[in-house]
Amino acid sequence: MTTKEILMSTKGLNKSFGATHAVVNLDINIEKGDIMGLIGENGAGKSTLIKIMGGEHFFDSGQIFYHNKKISWSNSAEALKKGIAIVHQHPLLVSSLNAAENIFLGKEFSQGFFVDNIKAIDETKKLIKKYPILKNLDIEKPVTEMSAGEKEVVEILKALSYDPEILILDEPTASLPKDETATLLSLLKELNKTNHITIIYISHKLEEAFEICNKITVMRNGKNIGTLTRDNFDKDKLVKMMINQDISEFYPEKSPKIGNKLLEVNNIISQKLRDVSIKVHEGEIVGLYGLIGAGMTELVESIYGLRPFRKGEIIFKDKKIPQSHVDTIIHNGIFLIPGDRHRYGLFPSFTVSENITIAHLFSLFPEFLLKQSKENHLAIREAKRVNLKYADINQLIQELSGGNQQKSIVARWLLKECEVLMLDDPTVGIDIGAKRDIYRILRELTSRNKGIIFISSEITEIIGISDRVYTMRRGKITANLSNKEINQENILKNIL
Amino acid sequence: MPNNNSSIFKILRNKELLIAAIALVIFFSITSNRFLSFSNITNVLMNISVSGILALGLALVMINGDFDLSFASAVGLFTLITVMLVDKHWNVWFVYSIAIVGGMVWGTLNALLVVQLKMHAFVATIATWTICRGLIYWINGGRTFYGYYPPIMTLIGRGTVFNFIPISAIIFIVATIIILLLANRSKFGRYIYAVGSNPDAAEYVGINSKRIRFTSYVLEGFLIGVATVILASKLSSGPATAGDGFQMTVIASAFLGATVFKPGLVNIGGSVLGIFLLSIIENGLIMLGVPFYFKFIVQGLIIIGAVAFISIKNKRSEGPAIV
Repeated sequence: MTTKEILMSTKGLNKSFGATHAVVNLDINIEKGDIMGLIGENGAGKSTLIKIMGGEHFFDSGQIFYHNKKISWSNSAEALKKGIAIVHQHPLLVSSLNAAENIFLGKEFSQGFFVDNIKAIDETKKLIKKYPILKNLDIEKPVTEMSAGEKEVVEILKALSYDPEILILDEPTASLPKDETATLLSLLKELNKTNHITIIYISHKLEEAFEICNKITVMRNGKNIGTLTRDNFDKDKLVKMMINQDISEFYPEKSPKIGNKLLEVNNIISQKLRDVSIKVHEGEIVGLYGLIGAGMTELVESIYGLRPFRKGEIIFKDKKIPQSHVDTIIHNGIFLIPGDRHRYGLFPSFTVSENITIAHLFSLFPEFLLKQSKENHLAIREAKRVNLKYADINQLIQELSGGNQQKSIVARWLLKECEVLMLDDPTVGIDIGAKRDIYRILRELTSRNKGIIFISSEITEIIGISDRVYTMRRGKITANLSNKEINQENILKNIL
Repeated sequence: MPNNNSSIFKILRNKELLIAAIALVIFFSITSNRFLSFSNITNVLMNISVSGILALGLALVMINGDFDLSFASAVGLFTLITVMLVDKHWNVWFVYSIAIVGGMVWGTLNALLVVQLKMHAFVATIATWTICRGLIYWINGGRTFYGYYPPIMTLIGRGTVFNFIPISAIIFIVATIIILLLANRSKFGRYIYAVGSNPDAAEYVGINSKRIRFTSYVLEGFLIGVATVILASKLSSGPATAGDGFQMTVIASAFLGATVFKPGLVNIGGSVLGIFLLSIIENGLIMLGVPFYFKFIVQGLIIIGAVAFISIKNKRSEGPAIV
C-alpha cells in the first residue's frame, strides 16, 4: 500500500480570504496513479485547495511539494506546464467555436497571419486517439449544439492537451444526466488505467466517488479530516466525517402545535420536478433541502405561479388553485421571498418605503393616488416589526446593509397577512443578528397558525429551524423527516 | 432621522437643472431685449407644447426601460393624414379624433414588436421610424401638402386665451399635470418605475411587466396623437419633414431630465424641465442671431453632458432606465 510514490503533498498549508480561513494547516498527500476523491460540504475548502495546487490562488503559508521538490507556482500557466490541469465545475468554453477550436484556444496553430484550424482538427484527432475518450465525438460541431456531457469531454480534452500528470476535476458530473455521467466515469477510469494519469475527483455525489476512487479524503472547515481507502468505504462514516456536529443554539424553539392542513401539493410533474408532493400545516415550518439544482426553488416557484407544470395540483385550504399568474397566488395569501435578493427582490432605485409597499399597493390603496404619509406609516410599522435599521424611511434601499435589505424584503411580505410564506434561502450573506431576527419573525408567524416553507443551502439551518424536512434529489422528494429523524446523517443520506 | 428641510443645500439637491434654467433665462433676458417680450414668451410656449407632450410620452416608455425613436416621424405621418382628410371636407374634430386613435395604434404597433415579439426597442423603433418616413414620401411624394381647411382647424394650434396664453400650452400643462400624477403618485406609475428598476423583481411581486410596458407604449401613442392634433392645427399643412425637428430635442430632454429630481432615472418632471431648458436655449440662440444649425451642436453636447453628469453622480446606477 505505502509503496506508492507521493506525487504531490502539502504541509501546513494556509489560505485566507479576508476573515474567512478557507484552508487551515492542511497536510495532504496525493499518490501517483490514484483516483483520489475529495469531498466535503460547501465551503469546506476543496475548491480553494485545488486552485492553490493549480496555481490559480497563492497560499499564505505552508509548503507544497511536487515530485519531492518544493514549489510555488507564479500562475496557472506554470502549473499547467508542469503537469497539473484543472477541469472546472462550469465549462469555460466559447460556445460559438467547435471542439477543436476550443481545445486550442489561446495556443492556436498559425499559418502566417492566419489561424490554422485544419492543424487544430488534426491535433484534436490525435488527442482523441491517444486518450480513450469518446471516439465518436464530432469535433467540428460548435459547442452550442453539444450536450452537457460532450461539453465536459471537450473541457477534459482541453486539459489533456497539456499532457498533464495530475488531472483535477471539480464536480464534473454536476450538470450531467445519468447516462452521460456513467460514460464520463468510465472514461476517467480508462484515463487512469491506460494513460496513468493521477486524478483528483471532487464530487458531492458519494456513489460516484465510491465507484471510481480508490481512496477518499474528507475536508471540513479547511482541514483534512481523514482518508478512507477503498476497502473501508462507508457512507455513514463519510457523512459523519463531513459534517460539523455542533448545531448552533440560536434557533428559536420549535412549534408546539401543528394545526390543520393548509397547503397541499400533489404529484407535480414539470421540466425539473418529478412527481413531487408535499404538505404544509398551520403553525409549521417545513424545510426543503437538497443539493443545488435538486428542484427546491423550482417547487416553490411552481406553487407561486412563476413556473408552469405539466401535471399535478395545488390545494390550498381544501380548494384547488388553478395554475395562474403570480398576483392570483399572492391574492390567496401565498407569498414567496425569492433567493438572490439582488436579482429577484430589490428595486434598487426605490426607497426603503417604496420597496416595502410595492407588493400590496392595490389592496392598501383602493384610491387612485398613493398617499405618501400613509405609505410611510405602513412601511415604518413593518420596519419596526423586522427590527430594520435605517436612517430615513425615504432613503434609497441601496444605502442599507445586505441584512437590512433582506429584512426590508421580509417586511414587504409581512405588510399583508400571509397564509403560507415561502422563503428561498433567505439568510444567504447576512449577519447573525439579521438571521436571528428572521427566525424570530417566522416563529411569530407560526404561533399565529401560518405555514412556512423554508429552503436553505445550509444543513444546520434547516435542522435548526424546521419542524419537518423534505429532502430532495434530482427533482424528487426522497424523504419526509420529522422530530428526531431530522439530523444531518438522515438528511445527507437522502440528498446524495 | 435627519431633518429634510433644514438647509438650503438639501432643498437645492438634485435640482441643478432648475438652477441652470433660471440662470439661462436671466442670461438671455440680459443679452437680448426681446427675449422676455410677451410675443416671445407666447412663441416659446407654443413651440414647447408639441415637443413637451412628446417628451411626456417618451419619458413614460423610458421609465420602463424601453425606448422609442419613431414618435417624431409618426407625428409627421399623422399630421399629413390629418390635413389631407380635412382637405376632403371631413369634420375637423372627427379627423382630430382619428389622429389620436392613430397615435394609439402606432403605440400598439411598437408595443407588439418590443413587448410581445421581444425585439430590442432601438431596433424595432428604428424600423417603424424608417417605415413611417417611407409612407410619408409615398403618400405625398416628399412635397408639402397644402389644401382646404376651415378656419376652426387652427384654433388649437394658433389660438390664445386673452391674446397671450396659447391654447396649445394649456393642453400641454394639463397633460403634464395628469401624467405627473399618473407617474409619480398612482399605482400604475409606481409599477412602471418598478419594471424599469428591476423587471425580474417586478414579476416576483405579482406585477405583469409585459402589460405595464404595453400600456406605456399605448399611452405614449395617445400623446403622439395629441401632439399631432396641435401640430396639424398649427401648420394646417403637411410638410414631409413635419415632426422631424422634435426628435432630437425630445430625446435630449429625457436624458437631461434624468439629471434632476430622481438622478439617474428618466422622470416626468425632469423631462418637462428639460424640454423647457432646450426650448429656451434654442429660442435664446435665435434671439442672439446665432445660425440655426448651432442648435444641433448644442443639443448633441447637452446629451453628452447630461449622460456624463448622470454617470458621474449616479447613485442609482443599477436602474436600467438610462439606455
